[in-house]
Amino acid sequence: MLSNPVVLGQIVVNGLSLSSIYILVALGFTLLFGIMRVVNFAHGEFAMLGGFSLYYLYAVFKLPWLLAIALVPFLVALPALLLEWLVFRWFYQKMFQSMIGLLGLNMAMIYTGLIVWDAFERNIPAAFDGIVRFGGVIAPIDRLVTIGISLLALAGFYFLMVHTRWGLAMRAAAQDVDIAATQGIDTRRIYKLAFVVAIGLAALAGALYGQIYAVSPFMGERPLFVAFVVVILGGMGSVSGAALGGVLLGFTESLLGTLYGGSVAAYASFGVVVLLLIFRPWGLLGKPE
Amino acid sequence: MTSFKMKATLAALLLAGSMVPAVSAETLKIGAIGSLSGGGTAWGLAIKRGAELAVDEVNKAGGLKVGDKTYNIELVMYDDQYTGQGGKTAAERVVFQDKVKFVVGPIGSNPVLSTMEVTTPQKVLLMSNGYTPKILQNDHKASYNFRFTLTNIEFAPSMMKWVKDNLKLKKVGILVPNDAIGQSVAPPLVKLYKESGIETVVDYYERGSKEFSPLITRLMAAGIDGFDINFNAPGEAGLMVKQARQIGFDKTILQMGGPSVPEIIEVAGKQAEGFISYEMVDFDAPAVVPFVKAYAAKYGAGIMNSQTPAFYNTTKILFEAIRRAGTVEDTTKVRDAVEGIAGYDAGIYGPVRWTGMANYGVNHQLALPFYVVEVKNGKPVNRATLQVD
Repeated sequence: MLSNPVVLGQIVVNGLSLSSIYILVALGFTLLFGIMRVVNFAHGEFAMLGGFSLYYLYAVFKLPWLLAIALVPFLVALPALLLEWLVFRWFYQKMFQSMIGLLGLNMAMIYTGLIVWDAFERNIPAAFDGIVRFGGVIAPIDRLVTIGISLLALAGFYFLMVHTRWGLAMRAAAQDVDIAATQGIDTRRIYKLAFVVAIGLAALAGALYGQIYAVSPFMGERPLFVAFVVVILGGMGSVSGAALGGVLLGFTESLLGTLYGGSVAAYASFGVVVLLLIFRPWGLLGKPE
Repeated sequence: MTSFKMKATLAALLLAGSMVPAVSAETLKIGAIGSLSGGGTAWGLAIKRGAELAVDEVNKAGGLKVGDKTYNIELVMYDDQYTGQGGKTAAERVVFQDKVKFVVGPIGSNPVLSTMEVTTPQKVLLMSNGYTPKILQNDHKASYNFRFTLTNIEFAPSMMKWVKDNLKLKKVGILVPNDAIGQSVAPPLVKLYKESGIETVVDYYERGSKEFSPLITRLMAAGIDGFDINFNAPGEAGLMVKQARQIGFDKTILQMGGPSVPEIIEVAGKQAEGFISYEMVDFDAPAVVPFVKAYAAKYGAGIMNSQTPAFYNTTKILFEAIRRAGTVEDTTKVRDAVEGIAGYDAGIYGPVRWTGMANYGVNHQLALPFYVVEVKNGKPVNRATLQVD
């Protein structure tokens, strides 16, 4: 099968499009852990809110797609500050408590969604319908747009973390929150900023995910699960690790899924995660604690 | 004081109750069971509305004439919550509390089986839907129940013959979930294709996965010229259609299962073009148009699913059988009249024909015509009308 260049090309295109979604989903997750040591079990539910936001803005209120997708992160992340104040802030720097506490929040959000929206899957019409052909290889335009947005988000995120004072402050807080505070960094504000960025990314990922697949109160399960695998592969808290993990998982699924079927792909992804946790528990690009 | 009030209310109720027989001598209660809450609500409403339209028709025409009496029909419906327990509770209420002798509904194997546990021993006649063969194939040989909708056992052989003759497929790809459902759905489907001389490639996906592109690429590399999305839930089936087209699968996509054409069009959008499936009703057929109009007049122009005409049909057949049996008490006589009603045309599906002996050991399965449809310009268009063997 690999000797067929068209199949090989299709594996690469499928791998790229999967990777881009996976990276976007994992970025916010790893940021919350890297800076606040919070394992956000409710991550998928913020993605779900992103999906519903795009559904209303684009499919119901008919806003132009670019405007709608640009509004989604703000529409979810700013009101989510209330949840930050109510729930999240109590779990900063408390990894294990955060797991249980946010698992509870996850349940509450799913079933609130179920009451509000019912269990039906909703479809967000495609903003870009066509396909592009490179030789015999075919790429759907909506997937190419997702790849582009992921790259933009990754670049923007890198710029924020490395080239701005806010990013410097976040990295300082990530290394040692007390010392950062003694240097005059308002860690409470930095945490809020990191929270808004992380939730905004989750919402953006959920909007794109929801448009490619479907929107429902249960749609967050898969993104959460993906974020976990990607972040464990790349290293908890590592941004470049999330990018690497996303690419690895996306291409593993595409290559093994095409060559050996879906079960083998799932088996291999988890096999790698288990091996990694045994031999390099801090992940490929993480730092040992 | 409260207890005095209660006694007074009770007395008033008893008084009212004692006055009822004079009126109810002319009223015949028909039971209905279906989901009126939760995920199956659309189906429960279909039973309710289908039956109501049939009841309205009879009552407007002056009532149902049985022997020398004329009855005004009253529909009594209970919610089964689309569960086995819900079906049982609803059946107990309708049989023991309302003393009803004839029940239409429910939809869904679990509610139907548990409803039967109550109705069959009481010799209450049940006219249901439901997918499991056990509804007809059981110890008592479906002694007091009939099925009014088709299952894959009925439609798949005729549809497969049509596929073989018209689509000229050589190798069909099949994707099913890697769980008990997928593993039970795939083998009979593969067998059916094999008997028609069509090769198959089966692949399994992990339940919950929404990304099928790698697996469809795999099927395409195996050289398939047809892709069967079979019994997958509408959400997954729609994504399969969409993703197959997006990675350039330009050959036949069909569904030997369903029917869920509107939902698949909703999910797959433009990519649903050319998709082939089956439908239970041709809503544009001349015989169906008056029914569609009556529906719109009573319930507004909302979506009607194919179960609504099915239960209208069911209720009308029941009325005709009661009329022919000449009794509203002896359900055995009415059952025999239902069995012998072949040839009666209730309006939508043509003359009644019973089948099922070969598959279930009893001719209590209604043989409905069904339709092969192809999506053209975003709408299902009729390609063929098929009959059950």
